[in-house]
Amino acid sequence: MKIEKRIYISVFWLITGIVLLGCGIFDIVDSFWSGMGGALIGVGAIRIVQFVKYRKNPEYREKVEIEANDERNKFIAMRAWAWSGYCFVMINSVGTIAFKIMGNDLLSQYCAYSVCLVLVLYWLAYLLLRRKY
Amino acid sequence: MKNRIEEIRKEKGIKQEDFAKLMGVSRQTISSLETGKYNPSIFLAYKIAKYFEMTIEEVFIFDEEI
Repeated sequence: MKIEKRIYISVFWLITGIVLLGCGIFDIVDSFWSGMGGALIGVGAIRIVQFVKYRKNPEYREKVEIEANDERNKFIAMRAWAWSGYCFVMINSVGTIAFKIMGNDLLSQYCAYSVCLVLVLYWLAYLLLRRKY
Repeated sequence: MKNRIEEIRKEKGIKQEDFAKLMGVSRQTISSLETGKYNPSIFLAYKIAKYFEMTIEEVFIFDEEI
């Protein structure tokens, strides 16, 4: 994605955040949305600062591009996602049984559905990627 | 997979950081390659071998046991 497009998206998040926070201050929306507005302002502002630095500072640009395209970083990111997914399934599988034993059926069901959802997504991704490669 | 990157790089008198820049990767990647913690993609292996004016087999030692 081009840097200009990314800046526009960050400006959009910033403006959305300001609007949500403003609505929160005037009691138009509840604290959930005003909190989200605050978070969007933070994210948007940080991203804009980063993009401006990226455009103006060639050394920083080179560093960012190397970090973004570095194959070891990509490999680590992929492994981290794989581990996260595996841990999520394991923790929720244990949670399903543990909550059932503790008599909390709602949380047990939530854990079981989460595991099912991740496994369905995994198989869909597997089938799609198998066709691609 | 073992490799001779560190040995050849030092022979040529190139710093890790400069070599990383030339290969378009981070210094940590070069460090991980040299210590054998990370195996490169075929593209990076080719790029490294080409830079050293060697074949991939001369730089990377294929160990069947691994």
